Amino acid sequence: MSLLKFDYSSLTPGKKLAVKYFIVAIILFGAQLLFGLIAGAQYLVPGLFYNKLDFNVVRMVHINAMVIWMLYGFIGSVYWLIEDEAQTELVGYKLGNLAFWIFTLAVAVVVVVYLFIQIGPGNQTSLWLINEGREYIEAPRWADIGIVVCVLIFFYNVAATFMKGRWTGIAGVLVLDLVALAGLYLAGMFYTPNISVDQYWWWWVIHLWVEATWEVLVGCIMAWSLMQVLGTPRKIVQTWLYIEVALMFGSGILGLGHHYFWIGTPEYWLTIGGFFSALEPVPLVAMVVHAVYDAGKHDFKNRNHPAMAWLIAHAFGNFFGAGVWGFMHTLPQINLYTHGTQWSASHGHLAFFGAYASINIAMWYIAVQKLRGDVPFDSRLPHAWRWKSALALLNIGVLGMTMALLISGYEQSFIERAIEGSTWAGYFKAQTAKWFMQGMWWRQVFGYATALGYVLLVWDLMTIGKDVPQSVIEADRKERLHGQKTRG
Amino acid sequence: MTEPVLASNIMLATMAGAMMILFGAFYAFFFAWSRLKNKASYATLAYLSYGIFVVFTVVLVQVLHLSGYWRILVALLLLGYLLAPHGIWHLCVGTHPHEEEIATRSTPGKSSGLS
Amino acid sequence: MNKTPWWASESFWRKVAVWITGGMLVILIFLTFDTVKKITAGSSRVPAYSVINKRIYYRFNPERGFMEPVIGDDAPLFGKMLSEEEAEKLVSLGKMTIQAKNCMNCHTLLGNGAYYAPDLTKAWLDQGWGAESVRENMMVSFLMDPKTNGRGYGTMRRMPNLGITEEEAHGIVAFLKWMSSIDTNGFPNNFKTIPQEGDQ
Ligand code: HEC
Ligand code: HEM
Ligand code: HEM
Ligand SMILES: [Fe+2]
Repeated sequence: MSLLKFDYSSLTPGKKLAVKYFIVAIILFGAQLLFGLIAGAQYLVPGLFYNKLDFNVVRMVHINAMVIWMLYGFIGSVYWLIEDEAQTELVGYKLGNLAFWIFTLAVAVVVVVYLFIQIGPGNQTSLWLINEGREYIEAPRWADIGIVVCVLIFFYNVAATFMKGRWTGIAGVLVLDLVALAGLYLAGMFYTPNISVDQYWWWWVIHLWVEATWEVLVGCIMAWSLMQVLGTPRKIVQTWLYIEVALMFGSGILGLGHHYFWIGTPEYWLTIGGFFSALEPVPLVAMVVHAVYDAGKHDFKNRNHPAMAWLIAHAFGNFFGAGVWGFMHTLPQINLYTHGTQWSASHGHLAFFGAYASINIAMWYIAVQKLRGDVPFDSRLPHAWRWKSALALLNIGVLGMTMALLISGYEQSFIERAIEGSTWAGYFKAQTAKWFMQGMWWRQVFGYATALGYVLLVWDLMTIGKDVPQSVIEADRKERLHGQKTRG
Repeated sequence: MTEPVLASNIMLATMAGAMMILFGAFYAFFFAWSRLKNKASYATLAYLSYGIFVVFTVVLVQVLHLSGYWRILVALLLLGYLLAPHGIWHLCVGTHPHEEEIATRSTPGKSSGLS
Repeated sequence: MNKTPWWASESFWRKVAVWITGGMLVILIFLTFDTVKKITAGSSRVPAYSVINKRIYYRFNPERGFMEPVIGDDAPLFGKMLSEEEAEKLVSLGKMTIQAKNCMNCHTLLGNGAYYAPDLTKAWLDQGWGAESVRENMMVSFLMDPKTNGRGYGTMRRMPNLGITEEEAHGIVAFLKWMSSIDTNGFPNNFKTIPQEGDQ
C-alpha cells in the first residue's frame, strides 16, 4: 500500500474493515460492467460465445455482481460510520475480519462455479451447489446460508458496538432495518414447483429490499453524512429520518402490489399496487423540499467536493430512477404492456445506479479522503478533472443507456405486447424493429462510456489527494482550527 | 381490471406519468425556494408548475379511462400534492427551531476520540 | 430552549414511523394469508397440477374485460392420464430443471426474468408449435435441440443446447402447460393461440 501512499495503519478497526469491503465492492463493480457489456453485445452479435458463455450466465454474473457489490458497499459504509456514532471502537474486529474473508471466498467460489459449471441437471443438488435460477438471488443454497451467517456476524458487530457505546435514534433504525433486510432474504430460500407462490415471495426479497429496507439503510448513511459533513444537529437529522421511514414504509410496503398484477395473484392487487405505488414518489418529493430548505439555511461549504457531488447525484438519481421512471410504468393499465420489456430494464438501470451506486461511490470518496491523511478535497485539489470526468462519464453513460432502453422498451411494448399479443413471433417482430435495434446499439455505446467512467473513477480513487501541496494542507489546517472556534 | 390504455396511447400515458412526478417536484422545489427567498415570482413559478401537473394528471385520467371511485382518488391526490409542500415546509420550520441555540448538536469534523 | 411544536418533535415522528410501519406490515400479512390461499395449486386462479390432463384455452371474458384461461375436455399430456401426485412430480421436475438451467436469465415467466427471449407464460399455447397434434413432440425436440429446431424469425438469435434430457423436457412441457392455465388477470393481453379442438 505504500506505493499508493495510503494511510491505512492509523485507521480504527471499523474503518479498516470498511476499506476491505470497499475494495471488493469496487472490483465487483468493475466485473458487473464487464459482464454488462458482454450481455449487451450478445444482443447485437447473437453468436457471441454461443453455447460457451451464454447470455443467461453473463447476465447472472452482471446482476449478481451488482447485488453483492452494493451489499459490500453498505456493510463497509456502516463499518466506516459506526464508531463515530457509537463513540467506541468496533467490538468484534477479528470476527468481522473472519466473516469478511469467508464471505469473499464464498463469492469467489460462486463466481467460478457460475462461469465454469454454469448449469446442472434438474434436481435439488443443482440448486444447492450450482445456482438457484431465480433472478438476483441465483446464489446456490450453500452460499445463501453462508451469506446469512456472515450477515448475522455483521449484525452482531453492529448491535454489540452500539450496546457497548452509545445507542442513538439512528442506531435503532439501522439495527431494525438490518433485521428486516436479513429476514427478507430468508423469504427467497425455499423451493416450490408453484411459480405463482415462488414469485410472490421472490418479490418480497427484491422489492422490499430496494424500495423499503435499502432506502432506509441509505437514509441512515445520509443522516450520518449530513451530520458529519454539514454539521446538521442530531435532533433534526433523526426527526427527518423518522419522517422518511414513515413515508417510505408507508408507501413502499404495500407498493409491493405493483408486482402482483400478473402473476396469478387476486385482482385486488391491481388497486392496491396502483394506489400505493402512486404514493411512492411522495417521500422523494419531501426530500426535495427539505433539501432546498437545508441548502438555503446552511452554508454548503465542505471539504470533500467529489463526495458531495456524488451525494447530489444520489438525490437526483433516486428521484428520477425510482420516482419518475418507476411511476411511469407502475399503473396496471400501462404495466400490462410494459411488463417484462426493456422498459423495466430502463427503470432498473437508472434506479439502481442513481439510488445505490452513487451513494456508495460517495462513501468511497469519504473514505479515501481519510486514507490520504484528511487533506482537503476542495477547489484546491490537483487533477480535479479526473473525478469530474468520472462523474460525468458514469452519469451520462447510465442516463444514455436508460434513454436508449426507454426507446427500445417503447417499441417492444407497442409491437410485442400491444399489437402482437406477446407471442413467439411477436417477440421477434419487436426485436427486429428498427428503433428497437437502434436502442440496443445506443445502449452499447453509452455502456462503453459508463465503463470508461469506471476506469477513470478507479484511477482517481487510487491517486486523488496525493499531490496536494504542503501549503494547501497547512492553510486547510488553519482554516479548520479557526472554523471550529467560530462554530463552538 | 379497468380498461388498459389504447396501444397508441402507451407513450402518452407513460410520459404523462413522468411529467406528473417531474412537475410535482418542480412545484415542491419552487414552493420551498419562494418561501426561502421570500419572493413572489418563485411562488408564481410554483403554482405554474402545479398547474402543469394538474394538466398532465387530467391527461392521464383520460387515457387510462379512469372512472368512478378512481376519479375521487385522483381528486384527493391533486389536493394532497397541493398541500404536501406546505405541510413539509411547516415541518422543516418546526424541526429546525433556531438551530444555533440547540446545545445538543453533534460535533462536525471531530470524528470521536478514536482517530 | 427547545421550542419544537409537538407535531415536529422527534418523539412524535418516531411513534408515527413505528405505527405506520407496523400498520402496513399487519395489512400486508393479512393480505398474504388471503393471497397465498388463492394461489395455492388447486385454487380457481392457480389450478391443480393435474390440469395438464385437460385441454387449456385462453379466451376473452367480456365480463372481466380481458382474457382468461378456460379448462376444457380431457387432453392427456403425452397420451397419459396422471394422478395428482404424478402430475405434481412431473411439473416439479420441469420447474426444477427451469431453475437449474437458469432459463429465467434469458426468458420471462409470468413476465418476470430477462428480456433476451420470448415470454413463456403462454408458450404452451403459442402458434409457433404449428398444430395441436404435433405440439408436444415439437416442444420436446425443440428443448432437447433448440439449435436445429429453432426459428429465430429472421434473426441469428438462438437458444443454446442446455443438455436437457428427454425426461426433463417432458417435465418442462408439463410445467409450461400447467403455467398456461394460471389466471394472470389478462397478461399477456390479446395473445393469439394455436388452434385447438373445441375452438369456436
Ligand atoms: C441463452 C438464452 C436462453 C436460455 C438459457 C434459454 N432459452 Fe429458451 N429461447 C431462447 C431464444 C433466443 C429463443 C428463441 C429461439 C428461436 O426462435 O429459435 C428461445 C425459445 C424458447 C421457447 C420457444 C418460444 C415460445 O414462445 O414458445 C421455449 C418454450 C423455450 N425457449 C424454453 C426454454 C426453457 C424451458 C429454458 C430452460 C431450460 C430455456 N428456454 C433457456 C433463449 C434461451
Ligand atoms: C431505488 C428504488 C428502486 C429500484 C432500485 C428499482 C429497481 C427495479 C428493478 C431492477 C426492476 C426490474 C425487476 C426485474 O428484474 O424483473 C424493477 C421493476 C419495477 N419497478 Fe422498480 N425500482 C425502484 C423503485 C421503484 C418505484 C418507486 C416504483 C413505482 C413508483 C417502481 C416500480 C416498478 C415496477 C412497476 C416494476 C415492474 C416492471 C415490470 O412490470 O416488468 N420501482 N424495479
Ligand atoms: C457497462 C454498462 C452496462 C451494460 C452494457 C449493461 C447491460 C445489461 C444487459 C444487457 C442486461 C440484461 C437485460 C435483459 O434481460 O435484456 C442488464 C440487466 C441489468 N443491469 Fe445492466 N448494464 C450495464 C451497467 C449496469 C449498471 C451500472 C447497473 C446498476 C448499477 C446495472 C443494473 C442492471 C440491472 C438491475 C439489470 C436487470 C434489469 C431487469 O431485469 O429489468 N447495469 N444490463
Ligand atoms: Fe417494486
